[in-house]
Amino acid sequence: MSDERRKWHERLNVTLWTLIIPPTVWAGHFLFSYLWAAISCAKEGAFAKFPTLFVAGTVLALAIILLSGWIAHRQTGMRGDSPPHDEGTEIDRLRFLAKSTLLLAGLSFVGVLFTALPVVFIGDCR
Amino acid sequence: MSLHDQDDPALRAAQEQRLRAVWEPPKGLFLRWSDTNNNQVGKWYVLTAFGFMLFAGVLALIMRTQLAAPDNDLVGPGTFNQLFTLHGSVMMFLFAVPMFEAVSIILLPQLLGARDLPFPRLSAFGYWSFLLGGVFVSGSIFFDAAPDGGWFMYPPLTTRTDLSGLGADIWMLGLSFIEVSSVAAAVELIVGVLKCRPPGMRLNLMPLYAWYILVVAVMILFAFPPLIAGDVLFEMERLLDWPFFDAARGGDPLLWQHLFWIFGHPEVYIVFLPSIALFAMLVPTFARRHLLGYPWIVLAAVGTAFLSFGLWVHHMFATGLPKISLGFFSAASEAVAIPTAVQIFVFIVTLWAGRVVWSTPLLYATGSLAIFVIGGLTGVMVALAPFDWQAHDTYFVVAHLHYVLIGGTLMPLFAGLYYYWPLVTGKKLSDRLGRIAFWLIFVGANLCFFPMHLSGLEGMPRRVFTYPEELGLGGLNLASTIGSFIIAAGVAVIVFDLCRSPWRKRAPRNPWQAGTLEWLALPEDENWGIRSIPLIESRYPIWDQQDFVRKVDEGRYFLPDAEEGRRETIITSVLDARPVSVIRLGGPGWKPMLTALALGGVFILTTYHLYWPALVCGVVTLAMVLWWLWTGTAEIPEKPCKPIGHGMELPLYISGSASPGWWAMFITMMADATAFSGLVFGYYFFWTRHEAFPPAGMTAAPGMTWPMVALALGLAGWLMTVAAREIHTRGGVGTARLLLVGGLATSIAGVPAGLAGPWLSGMDPTAHSYPAIVWTLAIWTCLHAAVAAIMQAYVLARSLAGRMTPHHDADIRNVTVYMHFFALTVVAAYATIGLFPEVA
Amino acid sequence: MAGGVLAVSALVLTGCNRHQSALAPFGLEARSTLGLTVVLTIGAAAIALAVAAIYVAAARAPEGRLSHKGGMRLVLWLGAIIPTVVLTALLLWALPAMRPLPAEAGDLRIRVEGEQFWWRVAYRPPGAPPLFSANEVRLPVGRTVVFELAATDVVHSFWIPGLAGKMDMIPGRTNRLVVKADKPGTYRGVCAEFCGLSHALMAFDVIAMEPAAFDAWLAAARTAPPRPQDRGAALFAREGCASCHAVADNGTRDIGPDLTRFGERLTLGAGILAPTPENTAAFIRDPHRFKPGARMPAYAHLSEDEALALARWLKRTSPEEGR
Repeated sequence: MSDERRKWHERLNVTLWTLIIPPTVWAGHFLFSYLWAAISCAKEGAFAKFPTLFVAGTVLALAIILLSGWIAHRQTGMRGDSPPHDEGTEIDRLRFLAKSTLLLAGLSFVGVLFTALPVVFIGDCR
Repeated sequence: MSLHDQDDPALRAAQEQRLRAVWEPPKGLFLRWSDTNNNQVGKWYVLTAFGFMLFAGVLALIMRTQLAAPDNDLVGPGTFNQLFTLHGSVMMFLFAVPMFEAVSIILLPQLLGARDLPFPRLSAFGYWSFLLGGVFVSGSIFFDAAPDGGWFMYPPLTTRTDLSGLGADIWMLGLSFIEVSSVAAAVELIVGVLKCRPPGMRLNLMPLYAWYILVVAVMILFAFPPLIAGDVLFEMERLLDWPFFDAARGGDPLLWQHLFWIFGHPEVYIVFLPSIALFAMLVPTFARRHLLGYPWIVLAAVGTAFLSFGLWVHHMFATGLPKISLGFFSAASEAVAIPTAVQIFVFIVTLWAGRVVWSTPLLYATGSLAIFVIGGLTGVMVALAPFDWQAHDTYFVVAHLHYVLIGGTLMPLFAGLYYYWPLVTGKKLSDRLGRIAFWLIFVGANLCFFPMHLSGLEGMPRRVFTYPEELGLGGLNLASTIGSFIIAAGVAVIVFDLCRSPWRKRAPRNPWQAGTLEWLALPEDENWGIRSIPLIESRYPIWDQQDFVRKVDEGRYFLPDAEEGRRETIITSVLDARPVSVIRLGGPGWKPMLTALALGGVFILTTYHLYWPALVCGVVTLAMVLWWLWTGTAEIPEKPCKPIGHGMELPLYISGSASPGWWAMFITMMADATAFSGLVFGYYFFWTRHEAFPPAGMTAAPGMTWPMVALALGLAGWLMTVAAREIHTRGGVGTARLLLVGGLATSIAGVPAGLAGPWLSGMDPTAHSYPAIVWTLAIWTCLHAAVAAIMQAYVLARSLAGRMTPHHDADIRNVTVYMHFFALTVVAAYATIGLFPEVA
Repeated sequence: MAGGVLAVSALVLTGCNRHQSALAPFGLEARSTLGLTVVLTIGAAAIALAVAAIYVAAARAPEGRLSHKGGMRLVLWLGAIIPTVVLTALLLWALPAMRPLPAEAGDLRIRVEGEQFWWRVAYRPPGAPPLFSANEVRLPVGRTVVFELAATDVVHSFWIPGLAGKMDMIPGRTNRLVVKADKPGTYRGVCAEFCGLSHALMAFDVIAMEPAAFDAWLAAARTAPPRPQDRGAALFAREGCASCHAVADNGTRDIGPDLTRFGERLTLGAGILAPTPENTAAFIRDPHRFKPGARMPAYAHLSEDEALALARWLKRTSPEEGR
């Protein structure tokens, strides 16, 4: 398959920087949720239940994580020999980074869902 | 040079002769301490950290003896408080963290087939700082002046000078000094892992130890600076009475708790992951197969690193924060158990698939896993806030944290000790003594710490020097005390074993038949690290690559010689480890030690309020650093390129993002920016704590004009430096120099402009937290402007002295990195103090 | 009515005061947390044993018994999926349990301030003036009580293990802890946050009373116990005790513990000594022997006899007592 004909998600090669996109999204979502709750509790004294902004932010975070996970998943499935993929080749390096990114996306997905739970189950400032 | 040249034994002998001469350590009673080679510095580092561990262990034994019986009076509360403060602080700051850095300084070059780490003098500087700061902090107990506020040092108990004495300053300044050395080590280790790997060692072939170290070093970069920011505020309050934590003047004790635990929780993983990294090396060896699930380990390490920054409030569950905030941290604290479980099962599965060879290191690994699993499970329990409200600050938590740290740090280190001792000394430790020690420690740890779960739930708070008999806790405490002495007996057996080691016979090379690169090390103790730098094609090259050891030893790989009589190693690219250049490493010298002494003077003299001598030490430190940089870095080589074998030629000078120096500056500035954001966090934290901020009735404010002038000056200096770099690269040396002069002028002008806002409006920093934090941000930024001026002057001088040319431009490229971060600092600081009051 | 109160006091005085355990709850919060603790402990033990069993099996398995694919599947299930499910379940249980008990405006509020190394207590029943006390907390069983927790000097933590989890007392903040006791008795609370030299010696007595008895006590407590104008009273005045301590309306409540109903207390020195006149006298003469770092100065110049007279006077809750 030549370079021109590869799909866009195959051209977006995973690297060391893209590896940390899913957990960075988790961190951003977490920090946003915490700061927002802390500031609105300190400044307003109240925290709206199911705030739209929070829902939108959570959906966005989950979507980015899913997307990077999916891109990584496509790259783990590249042609070649069977696992464990531990050769010193360019393709195995790529596959390794893709696999790690996919796993991190899974963990980050769970992490974002966990962060959303307190808003659902506590939802006020007491 | 072709491959067959190496067939000639005479040639090989000559090469070895040259290598040996180049890597010859300095000898003599005094001169030997000027060594910077990782083999030497690493050994000093390990021994010193081990010594601090024994010291802190003795402190624990005294405490346990005091608590053996109710209403005991072996030591009074004053001594007891010093004992537990020092026990915790020494174990964390002087044992666990430095030990991982020390082990990494020894092992990493071996694991990466490098001759040394990229900044050997920085390692030596870090070691001397650590030794000086460590002796200063722990020696204080012999003068009854040790810190006594707990290792967490909560204000106001510790900031009120009527309630706590010199000990608080010793803790704060002594350990700040050590934090500096930790950040230095982080720089060294990150650049080492990313840039000093052998050719062919792509990211997916990196030994897992290196992955863990990379992750942990990055964590240090983001975890230690908030504590440094906290230290700054803390000492400002103690020494200058700026009320950051004084509620009566608008401060808040909780700000310290936030800053401390933003450091404190990642810290737990900073000391846990490197020990697990040792498992990742020895489990495959004793399972006689590759580790299963390499990407899973990377997932676990990276995932843990991220999640560990979302846990800090679980140390503050009882501070009365809104329950929803606690919920976020409770959730993240649960989530972090997932990557931990993954790591444990990766090891189990590897043993399952392989052929298990029982050995002393594996015995320690097994025992520590058992202990760690219990600690991890109680960790899941305390992560749930309702349970934590009972368990928090009781002996249950003491039990939990010791299970985690003994299972997750101490015993893996002992496993590593038995595993790697032959690599470092060429001798094996006694298997029999090792097993005896193991069982003593394992049984002792459980006897000591398991009953504490119960005593905690039965109402025994932490940090009590005694407890009344009526509580009925005597039996459990006696058991704990007996257990602690059994642990001590186990450690004593290990020490005995270590002392006997020099009289044992030499072990064969690679005694465990491991497959990873570090086992190339020769028992004959050559200082050059590795005979020739190999081409790596597998994660376990000794097992998988044909004739690997022989080819390395016969110098058939890269850089088998030291023709120019210089210490050298290969720099490769980050992802695929393609050779990029050869760098010359610093050799032995006194500068690292003297710089550490001067910097130590700044911290130690400040503790005793000797400000003028401290200032002199500060100037000397600056002069030392400049001298060091001028004489030892960005040296223009005598020829542009050199052959490294196999027909490859590599440049001897690189600048910009391919060079280690650029990365070091970038990483250091990441840490600096993190510390600064800790201070900015302080500003906005105070904003949330006050109805109006600036508070009502507080008329003195910096206004908008001067902060904006300072902002403009800062950005102008940044732009001129960037322009100077661009024009300099294109050959416009004269214009670049002019621009640098302009940048220098704006940076200098930025200092008074930055201070003018709070100064001219007469803000009194001792009156309220608002003027105090505004002054702090302004001073921080102005100090950075001053450093920018020094750097611009330095670059100008380098150019004028002919040490920097359009081709050899590492200096200006590195300074530009600083200026990027400086611009960010200027924008954040002046927008906060000048613009935010307008919009808030 | 006063007789009833005395009977209760006498009753609790005889009991051995060793109830400071989260495992023996006498309040709703502590009881539900104990339930959580039991489940968590059983679960943790089961998981620890399972991991150990898997480890042993793994170490004994012959080489090659597990394929790469099988191994990865095990890691996925045992390392990732099952923990995720278990942890999610725990969160779903524990998060709702974090909500505080509901409190209403009519509930009794008790303000407790941590001091180095004792507790300043003020009962604030709705619609009535506050009642001051120290180092002892009485609360009615079956009613919601709101503790308002604060500190002036350093951080302390208010912990009655049998009643509820702990809550920090932080200068500049007032934290609320809502509790409901469900079993009468005498219990003990302690400071759980390290607060200085005598942190270990900072406890207090907790007396959970039947609602009627509590109401009776609260009403009776509003009348200060009569004290004779004897030698003790003269010593109290001569030594200037009132510049730190309050006895009825005489003295300040801002510095040292209120001593109005000192004779009623179950312990001396914030839960550390038996409340005998002898101990009280010894404490007055040398408080730092019992409580290092205490802010009270030593009255070593008092003779033993004088100190004892002062102690007896302080301990009176009625003219007959305190001999």
